[in-house]
Amino acid sequence: MTAKQETTVLKGAHVIDPANGIDQVTDIMIHEGRIAGVGEHIIADDATVVDLTGKYLSPGWIDMHVHAYGTLGFADPDTVGVYQGVTSFVEAGGPGIGTLDEFFALMTDLETDLYVGPFIRPLGLLGLNFIEGDVRTLGDVPITRWVDTAKQHRDRIRYIKCNAMGDYGPGTLHVTKGLAQILGVPLYMHIGEFQLQTPDPVLAYEAFKIAEKGDMITHIYHGNLGQIIDDEGKIMPVVTDALERGVLFDLGFGGYNFSWDIAEKAFAQGIVPYTISSDLQQFNVIRPVQSLANVLSVMMHLGMPLKQLIECVTVNSAKAISLADRAGDLSVGKPADITVFEIEGGRFELMDCYTQTRTADKRVMPAMTFKNGKRFDADMTRGQAESNWFLQIAEDHIPDATAQLSERQLAFLGKLGTALSETDWELSSAERLDIPKALELQALFHRVREQSDLPLREALRAVYDSFVDNKFTMQIGLFLMRLERPFALSRMAEMAAKRPHLAA
Amino acid sequence: MTTMTEHAWQALKGVNAETATFPARASFEGEGIVVFRTKDGYRGTQRACPHMQATMLNGELTANDTMVRCPLHVFTFKLSDGKGVNCAGFRIKVYEVRREGETLYARPAAI
Repeated sequence: MTAKQETTVLKGAHVIDPANGIDQVTDIMIHEGRIAGVGEHIIADDATVVDLTGKYLSPGWIDMHVHAYGTLGFADPDTVGVYQGVTSFVEAGGPGIGTLDEFFALMTDLETDLYVGPFIRPLGLLGLNFIEGDVRTLGDVPITRWVDTAKQHRDRIRYIKCNAMGDYGPGTLHVTKGLAQILGVPLYMHIGEFQLQTPDPVLAYEAFKIAEKGDMITHIYHGNLGQIIDDEGKIMPVVTDALERGVLFDLGFGGYNFSWDIAEKAFAQGIVPYTISSDLQQFNVIRPVQSLANVLSVMMHLGMPLKQLIECVTVNSAKAISLADRAGDLSVGKPADITVFEIEGGRFELMDCYTQTRTADKRVMPAMTFKNGKRFDADMTRGQAESNWFLQIAEDHIPDATAQLSERQLAFLGKLGTALSETDWELSSAERLDIPKALELQALFHRVREQSDLPLREALRAVYDSFVDNKFTMQIGLFLMRLERPFALSRMAEMAAKRPHLAA
Repeated sequence: MTTMTEHAWQALKGVNAETATFPARASFEGEGIVVFRTKDGYRGTQRACPHMQATMLNGELTANDTMVRCPLHVFTFKLSDGKGVNCAGFRIKVYEVRREGETLYARPAAI
């Protein structure tokens, strides 16, 4: 690599770097993947110069709430990361203590830095078709395993998530709070009852009571049961109390969690998010969320000034999840994580998650991203490609990726099929998810894997590549349970028969 | 007198095949359905998505017109048998639909 390739000067952009008090046209120099200089008229011999006149430039955006993995995840999470101006994001609850090993084994090839806020339930988030009811479905909280896992992966685990919804009662929030205290990470709570049930008490308000300074509450502008405003449109005292204690409010737009009506009323009374996150997942990427940039456009239309918008996705997010040592500002020496964007004029319909839209005359549009100095040009459509959000089981053909499977992986599939043939399962219904069965299938998978002495990643890939064309990932127990049993067994037998020594 | 069986073709009410824009509202035995115009002809589904009861009138055909996705949360269903594709456990009712002049006839799809 030549020096020319190692040094890049970004010239002429309007730089907004709230942490360093910069809000003006200036130049940025990147050298060997790090910020090497900030100032006017930087000249470096043999540097690649990128003219960004007329554009804005900020520290790389941090989206602290996405679903990259699991039942809500994407085939290619970078599509909602570096390709949309986001240089770091946090998987909000996809895995739990029982599936973090799967998460870490699979989520290794991303350009975007991926962190995780594990869920209190061992399997993690179970998908949209699971009604949060009986407290027993929360399962075990194995403290020893949590402590050991958190120690091993301290760098990746940024918070512990729970849902302040359902009929669990406030005890579950206290349990999660206790776990977060044990692990020394913030508590991150979902509020808003979007499922078809009316629990008593409504846990959203319990969440505001339990949260302490530095804990986070997401979906603050949701329009479901448990809103932050009362029937007369006034902010609930429990909400302002939490804010005064230093509880951090996160936007978490999502597929159910943003109402124009609530947002306008709350914003007018000074309740604004400290961090702005998207809650992007396969079920909301087409609409209404689309991208973190779209969520910023929504907040801009609501009346948040540009500098504050940028604070909410850079320095504030970095502080909230303790990433300030490596992200959130453009200080010399920091990794060169940079987002270049424009404010486009025009006429734009901005949807909420219900039936309301507002017409805006400008929007935020990413142009390019630098991640550790590596440039990615923005592509706002690749996230919406069907292959990215639509997990479809390849029932009528064997995916091409199986050609890469090793003999050991094929043998493993044969053994797994044999073991699975000794148990029974059926597709879960919409109303009820058979969690014990998912755990049983997961345990069976691990038992066969250990007997086969196959690394976790190879075993997981063997299964996914046999059934799915695109690289979706999911909790293995849930994935096996969503396969039709006769089809699963026959496909595994078919794969095992492909072993080279059997071919002749 | 002919005996109507469960799967006999029924003329759909509330829709004119000549003038309708598709997807179109229609009524089958008093039940609201939605009729889609596909590459191969017509297909009907129940009116409300089983997830959050959004209207399938705003549903979008996908996968070469073999599936329909709900506009709200992209829950996607096969038009052949109504099975949820990305939402295991969810299912919608689907109808065979054929046209004769201005009239559309439907019957529950054999699954």
